[in-house]
Amino acid sequence: MKRLAAVVALLGLATATACSSGSTNKSSSGGGGGLFTTIDVNRPGLDASAPANPYNPKGNSFSGFNAMRIAWVKNHLTDPNQALPGIAASWEIAPDNSAITLKLQPNAKWSDGKPVTAEDVKMSIGIAYTQGSTAFSVTPGAAGAAAEVTVVDPQTLKITQDMANPSPKFARGVLDTAVLPAHVWSGVLPADFWDKLKAARGEGADAEKARAEITTLGQKVLTFAPPKDVSAGPFVLERVNPGEALLVKNKNFYNAANVAPAQVKFLNYTGNEQIWNYLTAGKLDSSGFVAAPTDVMNRIKAAPGSEVIKGYSPVAVSMAFNQSKKPYDNVHVRRGLAYLIDRDQVTKVASPEGGTPAITTSGIHQKAAQAWIPDTLPKLEPYKPDVAKAEAEFKDAGLTKKDGKWLLADGKAWKVSMHAPAGFSDWLSAQENIKSQLIKAGVDAEVVTTTDYPLYLEELAAGKYDVGFWLMALGPAPYDIFQRLYGASNGWTNVAGKIEHSPAGKNGNWMGDPEQIEVDGAKINPGELTGKLNSATEDQAKPIMAQLATAANQDLPVIQLWDYVNNQFVNNSRFTGWPHDDEILRLGTGVLASGVWIQLGMVKSKQ
Amino acid sequence: MMIIIRRLAGHLARGFVMILVVATISFFIINNIPGDPMAARYEKLIEGGMAPEAAAQAVKVLYGFQPTGTLWQQYSDFMGGLLHFDLGVSVSRPGTPVLDVLTEAAKWTVLPVLVGTLLSFLVGVVLGVYAAIKRTGKLGDALAISGSLLHGIPQYVLALLLVVIFATLIPILPADGPVDILFDPGFNAGYIGSLVEHAVLPVVTYALSAYGGWVLAMKSSVVTVLGDDFILAAELRGMKRSIVFRYIARNAILPLFTILALSLGLLLGGAVFIEKIFNYPGLGLLLIDSVNDRDYALMGGAFLLITASIIVANIVADLFYTVIDPRVRSGEDAT
Repeated sequence: MKRLAAVVALLGLATATACSSGSTNKSSSGGGGGLFTTIDVNRPGLDASAPANPYNPKGNSFSGFNAMRIAWVKNHLTDPNQALPGIAASWEIAPDNSAITLKLQPNAKWSDGKPVTAEDVKMSIGIAYTQGSTAFSVTPGAAGAAAEVTVVDPQTLKITQDMANPSPKFARGVLDTAVLPAHVWSGVLPADFWDKLKAARGEGADAEKARAEITTLGQKVLTFAPPKDVSAGPFVLERVNPGEALLVKNKNFYNAANVAPAQVKFLNYTGNEQIWNYLTAGKLDSSGFVAAPTDVMNRIKAAPGSEVIKGYSPVAVSMAFNQSKKPYDNVHVRRGLAYLIDRDQVTKVASPEGGTPAITTSGIHQKAAQAWIPDTLPKLEPYKPDVAKAEAEFKDAGLTKKDGKWLLADGKAWKVSMHAPAGFSDWLSAQENIKSQLIKAGVDAEVVTTTDYPLYLEELAAGKYDVGFWLMALGPAPYDIFQRLYGASNGWTNVAGKIEHSPAGKNGNWMGDPEQIEVDGAKINPGELTGKLNSATEDQAKPIMAQLATAANQDLPVIQLWDYVNNQFVNNSRFTGWPHDDEILRLGTGVLASGVWIQLGMVKSKQ
Repeated sequence: MMIIIRRLAGHLARGFVMILVVATISFFIINNIPGDPMAARYEKLIEGGMAPEAAAQAVKVLYGFQPTGTLWQQYSDFMGGLLHFDLGVSVSRPGTPVLDVLTEAAKWTVLPVLVGTLLSFLVGVVLGVYAAIKRTGKLGDALAISGSLLHGIPQYVLALLLVVIFATLIPILPADGPVDILFDPGFNAGYIGSLVEHAVLPVVTYALSAYGGWVLAMKSSVVTVLGDDFILAAELRGMKRSIVFRYIARNAILPLFTILALSLGLLLGGAVFIEKIFNYPGLGLLLIDSVNDRDYALMGGAFLLITASIIVANIVADLFYTVIDPRVRSGEDAT
């Protein structure tokens, strides 16, 4: 017993020693303007050996912190080209969208002291071509692709749009481009890159070969590892271990005087539970959107200094039908189900904090809908829960009710089989709730869980499911919004700007809408209308969107369940000044908004 | 000596063949796992606001790292690479050699699992002997009960319990990764202190969860040996207590060495729950991530590493047995 006590005492001593030596050093290293702690919600799992490369999926390049873009595109409801200044201090867009002229920050420097020039931006655009980007694409006929990149002077660039297939979001595509130091990266691109690019944008075998070469070059870009991080952002990468990444203030940053933190620490996480724990413990100064159940959300809110900022997230979730399967080919069945499902209840159960019940099915997030189609929205059928209307629709579809249960038109049993991937807790909760509601109304239902998301998507695309959940309304650009309903998953593919339709079950068409549907007595082709949105101006887009929203509302390829809410978690204990403006809570693909807020001087250290 | 060398040669030849067989089986299983990782990646990009065409091109570039050609061509490339210790490149960590990814992760697995295993073995064996000798007393009962209890608690429950107690209620130990980034890496007190501090909870979790098994196994083994005739004979011959105890310990511990060797072989499989809960980015988590990402090369490499380590552990256990148990050596001589 004495020996056991001695072992325990030794262990305790070792622990205490370790704790004390760690904390002493810790406090001495974290001084200066304060340590800002955050996570990269876009990428779980830090990789200590990954390069500081913004294109590498595991790269230790944190957009907004040690990675800069030309500008930071906003989450505007209707204008995709609005942005906050980044490496470009200002820009001018031609009235017909044919060109954008960028003026760089006059004092912009890399962390190694070299100035940021227009040549850096041009090279970065070259790199962007190898990865695929909206504006810098080698895909033939891609809408909104750039035609020429011209360095006007060391501080000015002009980029023109290929007006053969213009897009109103061309400027957004340009502005949302990562800026890299040419003196570090230029060796990645071959000397004849721009000639190769010109060839790739043509037609024929040579163009095909050039495109393949550029795609191969993309792999070289992905793996490129700069010897050390050279950043034009407010921070530069100091070191990474598998649990954390440390960034220190870049003294050469053009707005360094207004950057509050001296250091930034990114914490690793492997799942949402860890983020919840960090937030509950008040460890994070800021975190992007992460889904959390109500009890967890309440614990997070109760943490000292904790604040949840709610904003617009251009994403909605829907219950999508495979119309190749009976009885979902019948619009009356889909409508009947829409009348049976209480979306308020579903949202309350599945996503009370992260969603608002869809006011109806329009194919578009309700907040964006109010801005784009304010006159059409009130005219849409709201599909409020109404059992009588549901029964009438089912009867119109030829369904029969026997012993309190709805049967198919041929008298066979009918079971609504809903699929969702394991781990998508909000989707599964929603489906369980819908199942209860349907069973109560006499419609047999079941929830089937798929092992993971890759398998779910494969089986969904293969048409194996009757009903699945589907993300939709992915804005802010109108084409991006509606292509989720009337794009490849429903048979319409955009090949070189030309819309082609594949029959149900072919080429990934699992929704199976007919090529033409009747809306208000007239036949329309929703895929072609959606394709038009790719090049339509705001004024041209509005009537098309109204027509598509009406089509989605009448035809119901999906039932829109809830619109997501962008919950940003911040903590006011150490830093303040967090913005509450909807448009800047979400900034471009993969951008960490808190880094942008810091570099613009919005975030202040709490004294 | 010749016997040991002959045994080693035989084991190595068999081990090599087994690795090739396992590599072949795992290659075909892995390459037939259903799921569309490209679609999942594409969905993630457009959910983040990327335009569909741009996302499609980005996915095309990323998955350009996937091996091409027929399955048989891929298989022959894989086996050819294997003979040169080339396990291919990762897709989830584009272009990074699989071997580098595995090596990086392995060090974070080996530290807590090896220390935890050895600690639990030492404590468990000592207390197991004690529990057997004092099996009719209260202390013997208490040790046996503690062994059963800790053996019965799932590892993740134990880990969560320790996190709640030592990282949340009485926050004296970290549970958020292997080391604090604020310390300069190197041989300095702060860094090493931080490493130790961060390793305490994972190591203790592993040790506690494995301890029960060692206590119970050792107790049972000692009780069996205690009933053997040679122990009775030794006692009747009036041998010293310490010599009798050595006889008991040496005979009772033999089966536990096999289990220990296999445990050490399995340690490269990682401890998924411990790694996940304590944010320790070891091989267990890497394997899970590689499955989620459908990173076939990484999956294959991880499976192969685990297989090879188990085979090596088996060989070591067998050779060790030859050394420590004369009966095995004489058995070999007889053949």
